Amino acid sequence: MTKELTPQEMLRIDLTPPNRDWMDIPTVIKPGIYCYPAKPEKVEAVGMPNPHVWSPLDDDWGLPEDWKETFLEGMRERLNKHRSFKIFMDICVRCGACADKCHFFLGSGDPKNMPVARAELIRSVYRGEFTKAGQILGRLAGGRKLTEDVLKEIWYYMFQCTECRRCSLFCPYGIDTAEVTIIGRELINLFGLNINWIQEPVANCYETGNHLGLLPHTFKQNVEFMCMDIEEFVGIKIEPPFNRKGAEILFVTPSGDVFAEPGIYTLMGYLMLFEHIGLDYTWSTYASEGGNFGFFTSLDMAQRLNAKIYAEARRLGVKWILGGECGHMWRVVHQYMNTFNGPPDFLEEPVNPLTGTKFENAKSAKMVHISEFTADLIKHGKLKLNPKRNDHLKVTYHDSCNPSRGMGMFEEPRYVIKNVCNNFYEMPENTIREQTFCCGSGAGLNAGENMELRLRGGLPRANAVKYVHERYGVNMLSCVCAIDRAVLPASMEYWVPEVNVCGVSELVGNALIMEGEHERTTDLRGEEIPGFAKAEGEEVTEDV
Amino acid sequence: MTIHCGLKPTGEENGLLLTPESLFKGGIVGRKIHKGLREILEQKKGPIVEKWRKHIHKSYPPETAQFLQREKNKFSNPIGSSIEESIWPLYDQLIGEADPATTKKLLDNLVRVRAVQDFTPASAVQIIFALKKIIRKEVFGIVQKKGLVKEYLEFESEIDRFGLLAFDVFMECRERVWEIKRNDLLKRPYLLSGGMCPSYMMKRGIKHLEKLKKEITQH
Repeated sequence: MTKELTPQEMLRIDLTPPNRDWMDIPTVIKPGIYCYPAKPEKVEAVGMPNPHVWSPLDDDWGLPEDWKETFLEGMRERLNKHRSFKIFMDICVRCGACADKCHFFLGSGDPKNMPVARAELIRSVYRGEFTKAGQILGRLAGGRKLTEDVLKEIWYYMFQCTECRRCSLFCPYGIDTAEVTIIGRELINLFGLNINWIQEPVANCYETGNHLGLLPHTFKQNVEFMCMDIEEFVGIKIEPPFNRKGAEILFVTPSGDVFAEPGIYTLMGYLMLFEHIGLDYTWSTYASEGGNFGFFTSLDMAQRLNAKIYAEARRLGVKWILGGECGHMWRVVHQYMNTFNGPPDFLEEPVNPLTGTKFENAKSAKMVHISEFTADLIKHGKLKLNPKRNDHLKVTYHDSCNPSRGMGMFEEPRYVIKNVCNNFYEMPENTIREQTFCCGSGAGLNAGENMELRLRGGLPRANAVKYVHERYGVNMLSCVCAIDRAVLPASMEYWVPEVNVCGVSELVGNALIMEGEHERTTDLRGEEIPGFAKAEGEEVTEDV
Repeated sequence: MTIHCGLKPTGEENGLLLTPESLFKGGIVGRKIHKGLREILEQKKGPIVEKWRKHIHKSYPPETAQFLQREKNKFSNPIGSSIEESIWPLYDQLIGEADPATTKKLLDNLVRVRAVQDFTPASAVQIIFALKKIIRKEVFGIVQKKGLVKEYLEFESEIDRFGLLAFDVFMECRERVWEIKRNDLLKRPYLLSGGMCPSYMMKRGIKHLEKLKKEITQH
């Protein structure tokens, strides 16, 4: 993605960047940082405005003539609709507490990636166009007018924020910069300027129920492929139920688990767990996606895509919903679903059928996280486990942003890991739990063309992984998010190549002793487990 | 003197995957720095490395440079800490007998981050060459007084060599980025890229049929 240098550029080697006000430093859009634009047909598929072909490197972005009025009208509408947005525009005192908390700033060194500065890109337009002080005093009051260059700058940086909300943790006023990004992206979407890595999953999800666009039979087949692998590695034949009316529980997980490596091993873990405890549940080939890229487009789109989960739960007549290992799905479930498409009065308060535990935290949305569910099963001694099968792994745990900061789930995954693994090491305190660093590619930024951006954003997390790798020999980074599982391997490949990535349920699947299983000599990836390999003619006996 | 910077001058190395040894082939292993000069460079280590650190920080925008200097926690300041952890031992490698593995690791620590940031290749590796100016300013007066100018010039060539090695590491990192991009694509060929996903093929087939039908009706 390099471009040819001009003679002028050839003669200039930047030793120190200029010291000027941020408004005077023009934004240069660079390949490797941005994602490809949305395909017109994918914009059209969900009835969004201005589907067109354009390139971020072109001068002309194909904006409609009245784009400025549309943007400002859109902003006015949102300022009135979302009180939070209005407050976030007004109350920031630019104290800088958030400035150095963003993984993109820490990895890129670009000051416009300080959360305060990123929000300031929009805030300056708010001041310049909506407040009297800004309209009269302009820059003196921190305001500026909306121009095409300003719009381009906003576009560039709204897609350099993963909405992880680490910055909001440190803001003394509680400003949630992720919400500014959410509104910023909504405004961008008024002109068909989404990125394709978000838009195509949105269109797919709308058409087929999942981001990958898997039709029902393909979805079913892929889950069945995983069952064939389980049969080979574990010796248990599983026939998972699909679209079964009258099941007690509907299971929903991100479609990345059905197709993408290493998510598929996590999916094998789910299948084995449900089989082992004889759970009365069903998969759905319609609500076949837990993730919601609509959330990275607009709140309306998030609502439209989310609706299928409750609709399917109603259609199948289940009592409650169990959710797989996903990131932003849990932020949507925990903070939005109930008001988006609920309250789901037709569902019951989730109760673990095996232990009788009431999941009171899920009383309103009626959806329980798989780690909460598994932790409860382990706590009540419902699982037979051999953690020694994971002894070759030295595991650390990456708190995925949304389940940790978005729903406050810190202990359950750790409890599960400590029960299925003997070697667990925490990363440093200021990089885990509510202070966790983002994987660097969330919120729809997990494309391939923006790899430089992803690697920059992944640096703070990788830096902490590198520390536990060097100190304790950690070789496995576990997490509970499908995007994490999809993107952390690339980040590790660059920063700490000795470390692999897995889902927590994969570790559970490896340790789970199932009734009728054969000798387990390989893990769910089909790789030999050191110390469990069967020598020729020798029976393997497990020392539990 | 030939400087082999690792990019297969002899065809022996395995592509771009540099080993520390291949980095240093025909390079700095076994070199000797004049004892008197080395003493001067050791005495001035503190001010030199501190100025060097400042120079590296200043290659970032001013707000960032301030932050890199201020924040001491390793995990809250990954760029700053990788600089801090690299420059002191790297200076020791430069003025002492360089150990290939250590030097490669230190250069890697310094350059890997810059290879994915907003730097041109030249701006990324200039931080090594910048040492010449910093050291010259600090010690050249003493060197002249002690009549070690010839030895000093030889030492400056060593800095050039470190700079070229840094460029090798930079290129290795860039190649790695491309490999990762490629792997990312190969590992997930079905993900939104069409082609191999059965349901995509089916959808495409349906669209193709519709197009054919349309054409037939038109005719």
